[in-house]
Amino acid sequence: MRSIRPLLRGEALTRDWAWGGGTGAGVDVAVIDSGIEAGHPMVGGVASAVALSFDRAAATGVRYLEGPHEDLFGHGTACAGIIRTVAPDCRLHSIRVLGERLTGKGLVFAAGLEWAIEHGMRVVNLSLSTGREDYFGTFHALADRAYFAGVMLVAAVNNVPSPSYPSQFASVFSVAAHQRHDPLGYDYNPAPPVELGAPGIEVTVAWKGGGTVVSTGNSFAAPHIAGLIARLLSKHPELTPFQVKTVLHSLADNSSP
Amino acid sequence: MTEAAAVFADLARVLDAMGPALVPSGSDGLLTRITEAARELFGAEACSLALLTDDSSELVFTTASGTGADSIVDLRIPSTQGIAGWVVMTEQPISVTDLAQDARFSSGIAASTGYVPRAILAVPVASPRRLLGVIEVLDRDASRPGAEQDMRLLQLFADQAASAIESTRVFSDLGRAVLGAVAAHPGSDLAEALAAARDAAERADNDGADEHGTDDNGDDDNGDDDDDGAATSHRADLVELATLFAQLDQLGARERRLAVDLLKVLVRDRGGRGPRAT
Repeated sequence: MRSIRPLLRGEALTRDWAWGGGTGAGVDVAVIDSGIEAGHPMVGGVASAVALSFDRAAATGVRYLEGPHEDLFGHGTACAGIIRTVAPDCRLHSIRVLGERLTGKGLVFAAGLEWAIEHGMRVVNLSLSTGREDYFGTFHALADRAYFAGVMLVAAVNNVPSPSYPSQFASVFSVAAHQRHDPLGYDYNPAPPVELGAPGIEVTVAWKGGGTVVSTGNSFAAPHIAGLIARLLSKHPELTPFQVKTVLHSLADNSSP
Repeated sequence: MTEAAAVFADLARVLDAMGPALVPSGSDGLLTRITEAARELFGAEACSLALLTDDSSELVFTTASGTGADSIVDLRIPSTQGIAGWVVMTEQPISVTDLAQDARFSSGIAASTGYVPRAILAVPVASPRRLLGVIEVLDRDASRPGAEQDMRLLQLFADQAASAIESTRVFSDLGRAVLGAVAAHPGSDLAEALAAARDAAERADNDGADEHGTDDNGDDDNGDDDDDGAATSHRADLVELATLFAQLDQLGARERRLAVDLLKVLVRDRGGRGPRAT
């Protein structure tokens, strides 16, 4: 058996070790959402963009259009702005799956996630979900693929115990909003399925047309964690999803030695 | 075909074509009470429920209470626009304040109702099987004690609304399946018509099972918001259920009672696992 390197050997697991000085440089972070307004001052550019849409004529039911696009309703730009705030030097990629029409949403969403896994993303922000039971298997398989490929799926959870894919799967980093506002602060929830708490209440977020709005939702908690993981990976690119979870668990605001 | 049977077949065809317009109004009272209760609890200006149309292209405000309620009911907006569109697309609850900064959020509603909200709290209304719509609370009193739990609370109201809507729709879908079968097979008796409809639905299901969007029967009328394969399969199941009911009816009172008891046990058991029902 090939030898493996333990997460820590004689070193202390501290925030400084984990992401001190980390900027997200070299880490590819995908935002699967309504698109990203690349020119927004809080976003500071995107490395790539692809727009997916439902198309009956396509063999898979999904059409892919690579190249710059706009944000169809602002949500993706809001998420991207938060990731940029936490991990200023990461490479942001916009995978647009929302905004054209609702029909085929589950199919297009799943295709977007598959695209992210196949195109070398290390962190994927999912401030969206589907509650359709029909998609349980599809998203479960994708979550497993992501896990084994070392891709961190960071998903906003629902507030009530109802089905929500892929956020409810064990390998996903599931995030809800907590009350505090420190962009680098987060909690580890010892009572799953929601694993992490991060800022998401009354957050000033980027919006279409270069502006901002004040908004609340788990949608804005997830990108805080996505950004934090990007910072961690920029210093420790070899970490696997379960190691990243171990680090987040150990260094949470509510973790006492 | 007798004259009465011909009239019935015509009627069935008309009713089947009308589709969602026929959804029984059984849940209306409950939905109105849900919006009223939410508005009062949150100290809000208004609360409204908007449901997706069968093709998911629009949201229709079906129930409302508070300021502007009269003018917002029956208002239709594209399902990809505004806060409501945001909620149905992401299936995530959202709260936005300082709306006045950005008229895009509410201009459509504001224009129709004459009321411009400063803040909206909106959560998805969904059953385990499908996304149904969105419930919105306008200008709630966010300074009252416990207001930080509003999003979670409104989601509970939304789940109540979803249960009410789904239980009504199950019966109306079943009714539509029966009507559709009779309309498609005039002259045959109900059991024959249902059997034929079930076979047709199963054929369509098999044709469309392997490739998305290739079952080109244009039949997207059951409110399914995602893909046609699931929609057809759902229709086949409903027709089969209706067929079994029709057959049971011919067996006798004891068998009917036994079947009802079995169904109750199944629903109870299933209810425990049904994620939205817990």
